[in-house]
Amino acid sequence: MEKFTVELLVSNRYGVLNRITGLYARRGYNIDSLFVNETENPEVSRMTICSHGDGDVQVQLVRQLRKLYDVRSVVLMASVEC
Amino acid sequence: MDNPKQLTGAQIVIEQLCLHGVTTVFGYPGGTVLPIYDALYQNSHRIDHVLTAHEQGAAHAADGFARASGKTGVVIATSGPGATNLVTGIANAYLDSVPLVAITGNVPVPLLGKDSFQEVDIVGVTQPIVKHNFVIRDVTQLERTLRKAFLIAQSGRPGPVLVDIPKNIQEATCEYHGIAPEHDKTPAPKFDITDALEAIKACKQPYIYAGGGVIAAGAEAELRQLSERLSAPVGLSMMGLSALPNDYWLNLGMCGMHGKYASSMAQAECDLMIALGVRFSDRATGNVQVYRQGHTIIHIDIDMAEFGKNVNPHLQLHGDVKAVLTALLSVLPEQKNEQWLARVAQMKLDGEIVQTGQLTPQQVFAAVRDVCDDSTVVATDVGQHQMWTTMYYPLAKPRTLLTSGGLGTMGFGMGAAIGGCMATGKQRTILFTGDGSFGMNLNELATAVSQNLPLVILILNNGVLGMVRQWQTRFYDKRYSQTTLQRKTDFPALAKAFGAEGYLAETLPQLQEILANLPDGPVVIDCRIDIDEEVLPMIPPGKTVADIITKR
Repeated sequence: MEKFTVELLVSNRYGVLNRITGLYARRGYNIDSLFVNETENPEVSRMTICSHGDGDVQVQLVRQLRKLYDVRSVVLMASVEC
Repeated sequence: MDNPKQLTGAQIVIEQLCLHGVTTVFGYPGGTVLPIYDALYQNSHRIDHVLTAHEQGAAHAADGFARASGKTGVVIATSGPGATNLVTGIANAYLDSVPLVAITGNVPVPLLGKDSFQEVDIVGVTQPIVKHNFVIRDVTQLERTLRKAFLIAQSGRPGPVLVDIPKNIQEATCEYHGIAPEHDKTPAPKFDITDALEAIKACKQPYIYAGGGVIAAGAEAELRQLSERLSAPVGLSMMGLSALPNDYWLNLGMCGMHGKYASSMAQAECDLMIALGVRFSDRATGNVQVYRQGHTIIHIDIDMAEFGKNVNPHLQLHGDVKAVLTALLSVLPEQKNEQWLARVAQMKLDGEIVQTGQLTPQQVFAAVRDVCDDSTVVATDVGQHQMWTTMYYPLAKPRTLLTSGGLGTMGFGMGAAIGGCMATGKQRTILFTGDGSFGMNLNELATAVSQNLPLVILILNNGVLGMVRQWQTRFYDKRYSQTTLQRKTDFPALAKAFGAEGYLAETLPQLQEILANLPDGPVVIDCRIDIDEEVLPMIPPGKTVADIITKR
């Protein structure tokens, strides 16, 4: 399993972090590190999540994250195309 | 509106429901939805509220209403137990991509998070089984949020949305604007059909695998055109079952674990599979590695996350099924594929199964079909009777089958049948159920009676939990652990106690006699079938068509 990093822009609201980590948890992927901060726009937060998983897992996770209402953008910081 | 009106939160709920074309809601009142129920009382001329016996029944009814009508179903419940009773219904709608808006009350905002009476964090509880959910903490957000809720439920791949409204928000007032419903502003996905076109032109043995996405997109006519154009047999997923009429000669019926023999065999032998609006459920594929071998798979779906989730397609087209099919049909040349069709015709003959017994499931379905018309809505519960319905009840029109696919919810049928009946303006509606499934939510008979719904409830009664028992027969050396019911329930008497009609049918002539004289209101028919009758064919879990069981 390779290490991969996902960067997200999400709504800066209560409960959003829960929805995102819930997706990881449901598939049984541990979050190795998580960084959240408010952006210059107070309605938006930036999240950086590091985890472990194979290529197809990474793509699946990114696509599932994109379906969340509170998620505005997702970038997989790797060479895999999603 | 030029001058915004001052309305209470509860009134805003009513106005938003009306604005979104909602005429029927299902629900159950309680402490924290009193303001909404008061507003419903005052607006009963605009919205018909169906009171069920249990919130689960209301959720399934809203689900059934949505499946039968294509509109968004609405269910209302109070906080705490009212809300948690919706959970199975919401999960059921989520797994089958049914548009549903669930409105729950909650304790007033200052009491949230304090373990108040009948307080449950229903947004937390339902998070994994909704497209999205909201808590309203400010009444000025209510109108906007409800608009969003309907938009999310209906757009893209449909699904359930829950809106939790604390009681003090329902009572608070604010300006109401009444702006027209929101439309989906996300740009339609772009797709390139070039590679798919080449693959289709090159194939000799095409097979179309169509699912619920075809019905959700309203692409039934395009599906049939594609099939005719390519001389391609069509196999259906359970959610896709009503997409094509049963008597269409290239419709092979459902494929998969309990699919029709020819449908599963043709799927395995094809050189090209065009998968339309399906998610390749494990029940449909069996062993995924083997399933994918020997043919090219083109997957067409509105949900990007479905590509490669269960089966890696060779080609994928992301878009609305109807839009993609229209694009393909505008350029696809006709194909004959006579050898392939001859092979498929042989498979159809090979797969014939005849049941024996005093009153067989096959006979029950045929007798019921004789008294129905093409648009009669048929609901099922979950188990053997459900699989027999997919095999033996000939469907003719889209949205006439209400069945729990992904979640496999025993107890879905009564609520779904009530919802389906309401969606068709109280036309005669059929429910095929089993003695096990019926036992789960038979309290909704009370609803069918109070609404005087023309429901015909056929219990395929074998005295056992037949589907689980069948697995015990096949895979657990006939150790029938907890599947023999040993109940003494007198179903006709039970029906009468609820105020419905009830009959016992032990032979086909008895059943035909009852069906020839159906009452106007709900009726329960206890059909006694053989305890050892199995659902065949069957592909054991995780196996392939090579392992298909066709004989008892």
